[in-house]
Amino acid sequence: MTGQSAVNHSQALRRVLVANRGEIAVRVITTCRRLGIETVLTASDADAYSLPARLADQVIRIGPASATASYLNVDAVVGAAVAAGADAIHPGYGFLSENARLARACAAAGIVFIGPDARTLEAAGDKLAARAHATAAGLPVLPGGDIELAGGDIEHSDPRVIALAERIGYPVLVKAAGGGGGRGLRVVREPAELGHAVSVASAEAAAAFGDPRVYLERYVERGRHVEVQLLGDGQRVIHLGDRDCSVQRRYQKLIEEAPAPDLGSDLRERLRAAAVALGVHLGYRGAGTVEFLLDTARGEFCFLEVNARIQVEHPVTEAITGMDIVAEQLSIAEGRPLRLRQEDVTFAGHAIECRIIAEDPDRDFRPSPGTITRAVFPAATMYPGYGLVRGAADAAAGIGGSVRVDTHVQARSAVPAYYDSLLAKVIAHGGDRDGALAVLSGALDRCALDGVTTNVAMQRAIVADPEFRAGGVTTDYLARYLAGREDGGAGRG
Amino acid sequence: MAEPGVADISLVDVSLRDGNQSLWGATGLRTAHIATIAPALGRAGFRALDFSSSTAMGVSVRTHREDPWALLRLVRAAIPDTLLQFIGTGFRFISWERAHPEVIALVYAALVRNGMDRFVVLDPTHDMDAARATAAIAKKAGAREVIGALTYTISAVHDDAFYAGIAAAYASCDDVDRAYIKDPAGILTAERARTLIPSIQAALRGKPLELHSHASLGLSPLTCLAAADLGVTALHVGCGALGNGTSLPQAEDLVANLRASGHAVDVDDRLLALVSRYFDRLAAAEGLPKGEHRGFDAAFMDHQLAGGVMSTTRRQLAELGLADRFGELMAEIARVRAELGYPIMVTPFPQMVIGQALANLLSEHAVGGARYDNVPDQVIRYVLGTFGKPTAPVEPWVLDRVLGRPRAAELADEPDPLDVAALRSRFGMRISDEELLLRFGMPAAEVDAMIAAGPAVTHYNPDTVPVLRLLRALGERPTARELTVRKPGFRLSLKDGGQ
Repeated sequence: MTGQSAVNHSQALRRVLVANRGEIAVRVITTCRRLGIETVLTASDADAYSLPARLADQVIRIGPASATASYLNVDAVVGAAVAAGADAIHPGYGFLSENARLARACAAAGIVFIGPDARTLEAAGDKLAARAHATAAGLPVLPGGDIELAGGDIEHSDPRVIALAERIGYPVLVKAAGGGGGRGLRVVREPAELGHAVSVASAEAAAAFGDPRVYLERYVERGRHVEVQLLGDGQRVIHLGDRDCSVQRRYQKLIEEAPAPDLGSDLRERLRAAAVALGVHLGYRGAGTVEFLLDTARGEFCFLEVNARIQVEHPVTEAITGMDIVAEQLSIAEGRPLRLRQEDVTFAGHAIECRIIAEDPDRDFRPSPGTITRAVFPAATMYPGYGLVRGAADAAAGIGGSVRVDTHVQARSAVPAYYDSLLAKVIAHGGDRDGALAVLSGALDRCALDGVTTNVAMQRAIVADPEFRAGGVTTDYLARYLAGREDGGAGRG
Repeated sequence: MAEPGVADISLVDVSLRDGNQSLWGATGLRTAHIATIAPALGRAGFRALDFSSSTAMGVSVRTHREDPWALLRLVRAAIPDTLLQFIGTGFRFISWERAHPEVIALVYAALVRNGMDRFVVLDPTHDMDAARATAAIAKKAGAREVIGALTYTISAVHDDAFYAGIAAAYASCDDVDRAYIKDPAGILTAERARTLIPSIQAALRGKPLELHSHASLGLSPLTCLAAADLGVTALHVGCGALGNGTSLPQAEDLVANLRASGHAVDVDDRLLALVSRYFDRLAAAEGLPKGEHRGFDAAFMDHQLAGGVMSTTRRQLAELGLADRFGELMAEIARVRAELGYPIMVTPFPQMVIGQALANLLSEHAVGGARYDNVPDQVIRYVLGTFGKPTAPVEPWVLDRVLGRPRAAELADEPDPLDVAALRSRFGMRISDEELLLRFGMPAAEVDAMIAAGPAVTHYNPDTVPVLRLLRALGERPTARELTVRKPGFRLSLKDGGQ
């Protein structure tokens, strides 16, 4: 810059390394391209010819297909960023996205980590620490406790652990302290199962997160999973509204929507305020999500966890706010204050997302890797970062509707067996929930994927199911729906 | 991009405002075109972007039915780091009528609030009291940078000492941060620059100087190189299709030439290329002309018309069925300009001079008609001194012909312009300042139509334009049953398989 420059361009990111794969890598690259930021993608051997690898300005192979040898290798990722001269690393979701060691390694290498600082990642990533912070911020938490703090031994059935479970009340959930995503989770309905469940969950957690610690929490059979999207700059925290992610199978979300249906304005405001309070308490910097378990009948909610990264389901929030959350992450990473005040965030219409996954619902959702031979998706009519586009504005006025598809697959794409089998997210926006459902069902009808088995037909059936259409289903909905289908509901799927 | 502190030249990009105005009649770029490329423009390392003007805001409403204030906000959000320039032309807003100082203060406050932070102070008659007043209003409104214009022209009175005098006035004005030589007709030669620039720099006493020289005669790419050697730190350029021709020099070429002559330029080459190709693709998709290298044309030295004015004039002549009289009109323009005391050919004066020249041309061809039989109101206002004192005296016989008309007496008695309270009571108490100012500057029907059109589309992809156009055309021909696209090595045939 010349000495006379009135503004400082030097904080602007010019080259970002995308340390991820699949649709989220495409998503991050798309926003970087729109903003004029160069992208470098780290790709495993299995992803060398993937769509994100073809979209990125530069690709660095960081290892063999196995995630532990590539996408989870902190040193390889940071080494690639240094070699490529990247200013920053965007970790996407999953893999190293909430890894405090990566955040520290970035800082040591003079590279910006696009996410919260290491301290916040530790506070949020450690579920026990997050529970403590939530309590300190005044949020209600589920009855539960730390097995080690209770003096228990996680290897064997221990009277002190059994006593802790008794205090919480059965059924209890054994949860990994070190990570989420459904791994290291076990439901325990009676004391006799407890010792075994703790051992198995701990072993699973150690394998998935390198951290064997588990804890106990009350298991709520029927609740709604509602979460609040936050943005913070370290000084100020705002929310971008709520999402409902109650359609889950074994803690894996399948359908998400925004706003959460039928909350009532008082409950909705309390949820949002609680999330913001936790963000403020953490001095949160970046995009993050606070998850809650909601008892709608009682109008009560409990803190579940903080996801200190972008979420898979972020597009539904983008659809109703007209925002580009990845662009906001980049802006915050450039050291800028939040560009919006809370009152600048407006909500229009309703959006629903269906995850299209390469798995076989008829064979216990077994993953279905292979090669896609045909991939047809509906044409996109909304894009992140272009505000509430005409389509969305029309939809808000009760006309039309908009579709967005986030995907990394095309005809002849490989679906490797090594990774999560998410193929695409189909997002529909309408003036209201019924409008969004109509747009979504039309959009799903246009999806045609051959070569691998997918859950598209099941998603179509769920979207047509009267209980789902009524809105506000609880987290046990999908299991009941699937059981009903097996019980002779042929034709339902 | 050069290492921090190393570059000696920075660039000011004019594509969005002056480029669009000079080459595409100010109507080429819509919100979607601008919003799509804004983030990359903001990251390319330009010192400032010449972004908007009262004319551009009027075009947004009138031609595109888009809210110009919303566009300012959208672009400011997308471009947090680069100065966004608004070019003001004295005490008016959108319409040609003189506005109350309070209204002008409201205009600047609204511009700052909506994201503009660099303001050009430009008084076409070089009336320094007016320039100082505008600079003070801009600074009071919160402008980060005010840049004073030295509008270049060739005449008996505009010598180096004249410009040094203006520069000295800017140097002594605390509300003016820097100055620039504004050469709208592109008639500043490198030779003249070598005497003019040092005179101005000496008078500016350390305030930086920029150069804005249109490429209309092919002179400015060389003049810019001379200016860089003379210590001018910021040069104004256009990107891709919006550079060269009657716009400013094309950025990529100029950067290469500057580097070849030993200068370090503060710009990100990758993004400069990206932005330039975007405007190229947009021009191709929308059928808009690309700025081309222009040859020297001595006639320009007389009429001194800026590129945008030139293209508008050709169009007007054609509409009157007088396309063959272009040469005659150019000669008449030069004559009228001399008779009116050499007004510098920047807004609003070219419109005024051309209006009079056209009136004279039509009168002379009428039976028994004579020049100055018809005089537009703007010319009467100019002679009355409404726009400030003419640089040189108006020819006495012309003065008599103009002021001897009954209309001159009417205009001399024109009521004072309305203040903000009067505008509020006329247009409504509850509307925003932004809407109030649009309603002040434009007919109500135009503003109503803009509001009725709803929010502007913000996404644009030039590559899809031809396909969408084809599909739209097919939609208008429901009887078409077959479509074939043929090009070398490619054939696509679609047939209606329906019943």
